Amino acid sequence: MPARRLAPLSVFYRAGETVFRLAWLLVIATIGSRSMGIPTEVGAGVVVAGLVLALLYQFVYWQRYEYELTGDTFDIRSGVLSRRTREIPLGRVQNVDLRRNVVQRALGIAEVRLETAGGSETEAQLRFVGEEEAQQLRDAVSRRKRGVDEDSTEPEPEADLLFAITPKELFILGVTSIDLRLLSLASVFLPVVVPSLTDRFGDPLVSFAMTAPVGAFGLAVAAAVLSGLYSITNYYGFRLSRAGSELRYERGLLQQFAGTIPLEKVQTLSITENVLARRLGYASLSVETAGYAPGDSSGSQSAVPIAERDRVFALARSVDAFGEPDWQRPPKRARTRYVVRYTALVLVLTGVAYGVDRFTGFSYAWYYVLVGVPLAPVGAHLKWRNLAYALCEDHVLTRAGFWSRETRVVPYYRIQTVVDSRTVFQRRRRLATVLIDTAGGGGITGNDARAIDIDADAAADLRETVHDRLQDSLDEARAVRRRRRLESIAPTGAGPGPDVSPGD
Amino acid sequence: MNDGDAESDEEAGPPPRTGSDPPEPGDPEARDGDERGPGRPTGDREPPRADASDPDSSSEVGAESEDGEGSPVEGDPVEERSGVPGTPGEGSGVSPEEVDIEELTGPVRKLDPRVRYVWVLGSVMGSLVLGGIAAVAGFVALDRPLLGVAVFLFLLALGAVLAVLRYRSWSYEVREDSLYLERGVITHTRTVVPYVRIQHVDASRGPVERALGLATAVVYTAGSRGADVSIPGLTTERADDLQERLKRLAIAAEGEDAV
Repeated sequence: MPARRLAPLSVFYRAGETVFRLAWLLVIATIGSRSMGIPTEVGAGVVVAGLVLALLYQFVYWQRYEYELTGDTFDIRSGVLSRRTREIPLGRVQNVDLRRNVVQRALGIAEVRLETAGGSETEAQLRFVGEEEAQQLRDAVSRRKRGVDEDSTEPEPEADLLFAITPKELFILGVTSIDLRLLSLASVFLPVVVPSLTDRFGDPLVSFAMTAPVGAFGLAVAAAVLSGLYSITNYYGFRLSRAGSELRYERGLLQQFAGTIPLEKVQTLSITENVLARRLGYASLSVETAGYAPGDSSGSQSAVPIAERDRVFALARSVDAFGEPDWQRPPKRARTRYVVRYTALVLVLTGVAYGVDRFTGFSYAWYYVLVGVPLAPVGAHLKWRNLAYALCEDHVLTRAGFWSRETRVVPYYRIQTVVDSRTVFQRRRRLATVLIDTAGGGGITGNDARAIDIDADAAADLRETVHDRLQDSLDEARAVRRRRRLESIAPTGAGPGPDVSPGD
Repeated sequence: MNDGDAESDEEAGPPPRTGSDPPEPGDPEARDGDERGPGRPTGDREPPRADASDPDSSSEVGAESEDGEGSPVEGDPVEERSGVPGTPGEGSGVSPEEVDIEELTGPVRKLDPRVRYVWVLGSVMGSLVLGGIAAVAGFVALDRPLLGVAVFLFLLALGAVLAVLRYRSWSYEVREDSLYLERGVITHTRTVVPYVRIQHVDASRGPVERALGLATAVVYTAGSRGADVSIPGLTTERADDLQERLKRLAIAAEGEDAV
């Protein structure tokens, strides 16, 4: 493929973007000029000049931006003042993402992003190419990654649809993605503030006390509704399919996303069920690669936003076949630890509430915070009940979280480091936490796979077992590679003898 | 490459139980008494673990003496290595087949004791700042000019104690297929870094470290907390040596792409 340019329309789009980004400056300029007695024409002139400058700059940017897909690299030559030439080996590409918002769709352009494991930002960001070009580019990259020539007549691998979201699932997604913590926060405020209404009527603060809880509640509801709507538009029309060794997804109502996730780059799987979804028997699956920076929630990792629990597990197993987990739970003394922790938290909150009551004019029924004390054991039990880890044949699984329970599936083969740590409090109860680090982005929640508060001896065992199994799986992979190498030279050489697989 | 042992033994801790005789792998005394066990057979992975967890439990939290006696690990590491020919590694050709892993591994080691000064000096800085703030506050608001001095001395003492404890808690071991670190005063942490996963190794030297002739080795993996693995308080030679060793072990581990 010869060197190519971005879509010409991108010049206008990008210029418009620049102007919008600087809009506040221009607004200040126009208002400022008016208030200083300078005629409005000058302000308008500034705006026009800004637009022209932006257009000029973007035109030069477009002119000097070239990309090229060679046999095994993707090259970009860019830069207006300082030039940069970048070559990305296609074998290192983790994800290819396409995205376009409403305006871009109207203009028929799309953004293409290539992610590799290095660096903290997207390695190649083509802003913007034509829609057709974007799809061709994506297909060409995956073709070349498979090692197929451009001219080859080999047919595209059949894409089987793994999952398509139904309206019902979309609705459930909207409902379950409401962040329950917001509501719980509001419900904590209500009982504390409402009783004070009855006590002190006629207080000047009463109007505030009346409106505050209602306001907080309303805010929480609004936030919840917004987050539900956001997920619905985000995952509208979600489809996940599998083409050869790649997963492909597309989604989005207003802003559309599409992309590929190569299966051999998958680091960990994580299955998330929040309280509501758990009640309804639903779960979501996300597939992590090393392409995204830690904590990057660009969302494209999400493989299945919502589906019935069994189906999610079946889909997860089709991505990476893990066995039936035999969950190991932390010992009961871990639960005692949470009781102490939560009780202490409640007491501290009570202290703060008392302090506010005592030292500020705003007085209310601070002792209602103590309602939390009997709740502490309940919370502790719920937290404890959801903690678990399991060792399977090729994977280690961890599970944690009550509000949002996350099950992480880590293949031994993907483990980077294993850390086992014990804080002062954990040592008192002979507990330890084992962290299993992978090259994944750390997920949407930024959590790593952890076996939390397990017995200290079990933790030491787990650390060593996981490490040994990593070595075993590496040995296996080595043996496979050697066999393959020998097979590849076998026709010309003497042929594999009985003694040539040292890895076995 | 094991000649660093004698040096570290002179510098810190109780003298080793035996001179250079390797303790028997099954010898219970060797597990309990000998912190660093010079020349211990490196193929044996279980005893080092027991060794490694004992010093901290005896020096800090006496309650956990049973911690070290984990259940034995299956699989004979010596057999795993039998596929690799035992040619002693010449610095030049580091093809995976030619590295003698046994020569590169080492016993459990402590840091150089001088690292305590680095940490104490660091806490002097912190104490000075906080003490200064306390002094100003004490002088202006409370009319107690000595408050700052008291805060400074208290923090300094705390820092010094922590530095000593931290030094005691620190140990590392270049094992057969992974780097093993153990450290931490408030939170005990043990980290296993398989050589296959090592991306690169830095040796860094801050100004204080340079003055004391120390260095820090930083091991990077592709993990999400890659830069977390650093070993402070190494003599310059040992840091260079460690860097070289880890490099060769990482090459010998013959890893595929990590990601």
